[in-house]
Parts: sequence; C-alpha cells; structure tokens
Amino acid sequence: MTKQRLSRRLAAGTATCATFVLVAGCGGSAASPSQAAEQARQKVQLVDSTPAATGPLDKATWFMPKEPATLDLDNDAAGATTDTVMSNICERLVQVQPDLTVKPWLAEKYEWKTPETVVFTIRKGVRFHSGNEMTADDVVWSMNRHAADGANESDEYENVSKVEKTGPDEVTVTMKQSDAVFMKALAGTGGVVLERKAVEDQGDAFGTPSGDDACTGPMELKAWDSGRQIVLTKAANYWNQERAAKTGELTIRWADDDAVVNSLLTGEADGAYLENIASATRLAGGPNTTVSQGPDTRVWSSMVTERGGLADVRLRKALSLALDRDGVSRAALAGLGVPAAEPVGPGAWGYEADKFRAASEKLAAGAPAKPTPENIEAAKKLVAEAGATQQIVVASDGTTGRDVIANAVVDAARKIGLDARIIQIPPQQYGDYYSDAEFRKQADLFTDDYFISKNDPVGFYKNGASDATVQWVLKDPEYDALVKQAKAELDDAKRADLAIDLAQRWADAMPWLSVVQSPTTVVLAGEVTGVPASGAFRNYPWAADLGAKGK
Amino acid sequence: MTIDTFGAQVASAPAVRRRRRSPWTFRLCVAILGVAVAAAVFAPLVAPYAPDSTDFSAIWAPPGPAHWLGTDQLGRDILSRLIHGARPSLLGAIALLAFATALGVLIGVVAAWRRGWVDTVLARLTDVMFAFPGLLFVVLIIAVFDRGPATAVIGMGLAFAPLIAKFTRAIALEELARPYVDAYRLQGVGGVQLVARYLLPNLMPTLVGYLVVLFGEGLMSLAALNFLGFGSQPPSSEWGLMVQEGRAGVIQGFLGPALIPGLTIAVVVVATNVVGVRLSDKLAVRT
Repeated sequence: MTKQRLSRRLAAGTATCATFVLVAGCGGSAASPSQAAEQARQKVQLVDSTPAATGPLDKATWFMPKEPATLDLDNDAAGATTDTVMSNICERLVQVQPDLTVKPWLAEKYEWKTPETVVFTIRKGVRFHSGNEMTADDVVWSMNRHAADGANESDEYENVSKVEKTGPDEVTVTMKQSDAVFMKALAGTGGVVLERKAVEDQGDAFGTPSGDDACTGPMELKAWDSGRQIVLTKAANYWNQERAAKTGELTIRWADDDAVVNSLLTGEADGAYLENIASATRLAGGPNTTVSQGPDTRVWSSMVTERGGLADVRLRKALSLALDRDGVSRAALAGLGVPAAEPVGPGAWGYEADKFRAASEKLAAGAPAKPTPENIEAAKKLVAEAGATQQIVVASDGTTGRDVIANAVVDAARKIGLDARIIQIPPQQYGDYYSDAEFRKQADLFTDDYFISKNDPVGFYKNGASDATVQWVLKDPEYDALVKQAKAELDDAKRADLAIDLAQRWADAMPWLSVVQSPTTVVLAGEVTGVPASGAFRNYPWAADLGAKGK
Repeated sequence: MTIDTFGAQVASAPAVRRRRRSPWTFRLCVAILGVAVAAAVFAPLVAPYAPDSTDFSAIWAPPGPAHWLGTDQLGRDILSRLIHGARPSLLGAIALLAFATALGVLIGVVAAWRRGWVDTVLARLTDVMFAFPGLLFVVLIIAVFDRGPATAVIGMGLAFAPLIAKFTRAIALEELARPYVDAYRLQGVGGVQLVARYLLPNLMPTLVGYLVVLFGEGLMSLAALNFLGFGSQPPSSEWGLMVQEGRAGVIQGFLGPALIPGLTIAVVVVATNVVGVRLSDKLAVRT
C-alpha cells in the first residue's frame, strides 16, 4: 500500500467516524430528552409574579412573536400581541392583578344596586396622556364603543341594554339580566377607558403606526416604526405616582422563536413572554436568563365537528381515555405544558381557586395524563358498545402543536381499535372552521389553543350553550339554563358551584377533547425582574413593574 | 455550463491520470446512489419501522440499538423515515426533470431547427423565464395553483425548462451543422421525422450527461421547496420536509432530526454531481 493510498483511506475513515460521532451526538444533545426536559422544569419557577424590582431601569428591550395588526383594542384584528403592548398604555375600570384577582381601578368603586344595575364611581384626578382629565362622558363613550357591532369584545356587552352618565362621576350600566361575568370582562378590553376627543381627532389613523394613544396608563406610545419596533416611554403625568413605571423606555420588537432565544441568550433582549414555550428549555439552562411560569387560561383542545365520525359521545370519551397528554406535552411543549382535564386553564380561577382545583382533579379520571392499561381497556369497551364506526378524520396544518396532537389522536385511536387519519389544511385557512360549517365537514377534529380574557370559568363554559359559536355538539336546554343561572349569580361561592356543575356537564358531553395546558411563560435577562408570570399580563401593565434586580 | 466546457476539461486532463484518480470517489458515489435507489425501491422491506409509526415513549431518543439514528419529536424512527423518504425525494426529482426535459427539449430543438423569428421569440421567452429566480417563480405558481407535491414538481419543472432549452438548442445547432442532416434532407426526409428519428437520438448521450448533473440540483431545489412547506405535506417523510419538521428540536438542542436528513440530501447531491460529471465526460467523448 503506498503512502498516498494509506493517507486517503485514513482520511476517509476519519471522515466516516466524524460523521457517525456527529450524528450520534446530535440525536440526543448532552442529555436524553426526558432528562433535558426534567432539568429545565426544575429550573423553571412556578409563580404568579417574578420577584419585585428594587430599582429603576433606563431602557429595556422586549420581544414578541409577531408585529401587532393594530393598536386599537376594539379593532377585530387586535390579538395577543396588541394586548401585550396596550396593557401598558391603556387602563380599565377594574384591573386584574398578577394573582388573577380583580380590583377597582379607573372606577374607584362599583356596586350592584339591583341584580340588573351596576353603578361605577369614576376616580377623580385621572389624566389621559394628552393632559386632559378623564370624565364620566369618556367612560360612557368608551363602553359604547366596545359594545358596538363588530368591536372585538362586543359579545361581552350582549346583556347590556344601556350605559349612561348618572352623576358628575357616576356611570350606570343597566343589564337585560344580571351578568357577573361582565364585571370580569371589564378587566379586559371591555373595560378600557379611551379619551373620546383624542380618538375622534385621529380618525382612521387611530390604532395605526401613524396614530397616537388615547389612554391613561403608566406608559405612553412614543413611536410605532412599522415592520421594526414599537417604543413606549414612561408616562410623565401618570395619575398614580405610587405605581409609576420603573422603566424609562421600553422597545418592543418581534422575531421568530430561534431569534428570540438567541437575543435573550446573548443579552440583546431583556425579556419575552414566550409563545412557543418549548424554547424555554434552552433559556432555563442559560447562564443569564431565568424562566418563570404562571397560571393561564390557554389550553390546547381538539374540537369535535358535526361531520359524524365522533357523533357518539362514547367514542369521544374513549379517545379521551386513550390520549397520551403527557406525551403531547413532551413532544410539543418540551414537557413544560400540563396535561389538561378541562378546556380552560387555572388562569380562569380568579376566585374560589381551591374549589376549582379540586373539581378539576376529579375530571382527570376521564382525561388521564398518561393512559394506563385500565384506561385503554375501558376505552376499548366504550368503542365496542358504540358498535360500527366510520373513519375519524383529524385536521392538522403541519405546525408543531396541531401536528403533534393530530398524531397523538391517531395513535390513541389505533390503540383502541378505531380507524383514524390526518388531513392537512393550509395554515392560512385552518381557522375558518370556527365560522364555516361547510369547511368543518372536512374533519371530525380541529385543534386550537383557546384562551379567554376573563378570570372566571363561567366565562368559558358559557361556550357550551346551544347557540355558542365554538362548539357544535353540545345541545342541552338544561345546560343553557345553567349558563344563564351562573352568569346571573353575583355571589362568587355560589357561582363557583354552578361553574363546577357546568364543567362536569361539559366533560360528560365532551364537545372538545382537552389535551394540554400552556402556562404563561416569561423569560427575563439576569438583571431585570418584576413582571407578572401569570396570564394577567394581557391586561395588566406588566412593563411598569419591570425594573432592576437588587444587588 | 455547456457540454463544450466539460469537453475542454476532459481534453486538458491527461487521460491516464484521470482514470487513476476517478475510480475511488466515483465508485463510492455510485455506491451511495445505489443505496439511495435501493432504499427507494425496497423501503417497506428494509425499513425497521413504518415511517409514520409514532411512539410517545421514545420522543427525541438518541441513536441506540432500537433506533440506529434516533427518533424525532413524535418518536418516529429517523432511519425508517430516511429510507421511506428516498422514494418521494428521488421520484420528485425524476418527475421534475422529465417534465422540464420534455418542455426544454421541445423548445430547444424547435428553436434550433426553425431559426429565424421562431428562434428569436423562443430565446426571448426563455430569457424572461431566466429573469425570475427559480424559487420565486415556483412560489408564484404555488400561490396560484395551491401547494402540493404535483404543483411543486410542475413549478420547479417550469423553472428548469429554460436551462434545458438553452442547452438543447446549443447542441442541436452543432448537430444540425453535420453533413448527415443535409443528406437526410436531400433524401426527402420530413422535418419532424428527421428530428425525432435521427437528430434526437444523437443528442441523447450529451443530454443525459447534462441531466444527471441537473438531477442533483433538482433534488436540492425540491427539498428546499418542501422545507418551505410548499411541496410534500406531513406525514410524508420527504427529506426536505424532514429537515423542516426537525427544526422544532433545534431550538431545544436536538439537532439530529434536522441534521441527518440535511446531510443525506447533501451526500446524495454531491454523489449525483460526481457521477453526473464523469458520465457526461464519457458520453461527450463518445459523440
């Protein structure tokens, strides 16, 4: 063998070995998947809020998954990113706290005078960013704007018959029937107070990059540089100096998951509320980042359509028993999700939380985190009782969450002797199933991560009413009557009992297969702290609490 | 690059030295392509698992005795998916080249045969098609006709057709200048018959050499389209789509599910190019 040949073979051998080492090393990172997820989970703090900041912060940079379509909260195009920005700029009549309780805010107090009449006393001395004082007229005008047809939260006003000024600082809302959930809705977009003059003067520019804000919050809009960033600054004349913003200027940018992760790891960004919580595994192990999780209402569920493959409730229950929710959490959310027994997360437990927790644990019997052999046997029995079945069609759009859940449903179906397949729908069209009955006929199950803006389970379970637009299976007059009763019940303890009854009835009919909760996940750079870790951040001025850590 | 360039390279290299240097890499590349084709043909027989067989107890498993290349985010065996993915990946590239060749050769031969205004019009037409970046052109096609494997193949075929048309025109002009063409004309052989029976068979060896080189490019372009989500859809295990699906793990530090199909695409494309260049050398020498 010549020297040249030997060196060539050596080179080839080295290259082959290097490839194998690379591939072998790549398959599992340093630790196995379960170890990596477990290590990440141990480093994640489960709290309502990150530790309070002790010092001010001149400037901070925050990341979101995408640019908001509008900064007008009443615009139907407003979504989670609009909320994330505007929660710092605009304030509500009542304010949700990081622990999800609600307290009076721009309304100094409120009182139910009769079961159908609630009176708000408007706080004096509150000034808009323009310098003008907030008046009862602004409150009436804002509430009517939220209630207008086509407004984002107009459905929260369906029971409201009249909003009127009944005194210099008094606004009275008259309802067609008492509605306890309405008060929770006022902690969301439905309770935002806008300056009438500022909004009307701006005309069509309001909510666009060329517009300005018209609110009272601890931060004001400095600039929306379309396609690049939004800059907020500390409101100079904020009415409540005790709760003035700790951060002088906040720059909000948007990027894909991997760019967000890299920006946080390299110190380019100070924080982010993560949409893809799986990326928290990298950040939880980062030397300069901390990850915290808090309760959220968001839950991934598969929604049953009228197509017929799952018309028999026994088949829905069988699938629920055989579904590996823990596997879905590990595959789609890196183990940072929580197997869900009901379609709304603990972020909705704004009152009587212990009662709701105990009830939710009971529901887990029909929706196990990991199916046991007994669960599978029980599921097979249900399938046998149901008799002849047709093929179950599950819709996916190829995105991670929907794809993992679709595969998990097919896997569960196969284990219990059901025939199921996945169809692919373009992501741009996927959401059409909510509004288009013809579109829904393509599949038996569509999957979405659904959340509510109210910290009240009744605010979710009203979706089980016969006339609801997000479920198409449950049609029960008794359920409808119970929804009406629960909404009318102003006493929290009694309403909690009614909500638990609704949850049980929902689980019995199972119009959705609840899969996995996606808790609010916030990541912060090492030097900053203070923001809420719960779902409250959508309506609470989180950036005002962002500040420097104590030394 | 035209075949003449290959010819020039061949002519400038000493024949004996070339024979000594090429066989080792050439044989390795042929073996790689052989394995890829065998995987495509015998996938159901040789793959240890079904490509869509999920196992939630083995999510992102590292390589081991049960899963030689590990598993992906759904616990699917990466080796089995690679083997099954060879079929749509290779067939897709073959289909796009077949479509592009049919169109490109037609345009090239007609332009070379008719010359004059027909040649000018077809030349401008191919120039316009050249002016669009291939991928952008295909995205435009997909925007109109919706996404899917067939649309991706047709769109990419249309993007490749001008390349083949220009090449065919060049070699056809060279071939038409040969005396046997005039001889057939004098015998009264019609244009269509002359082109189909005598001209095309003589162009084939050179054209096939060129197409083998293009095959690697086609494979890569289709994989890129599938990566972008415009072509094959889950649960297909087409290699470009596997890279795209594997991206979810990269952010968590699991590089295997994305890197392994990516490396496979790179290795097969390089092997195709090595084999293609040598084949075109040989075929060009024969003509």
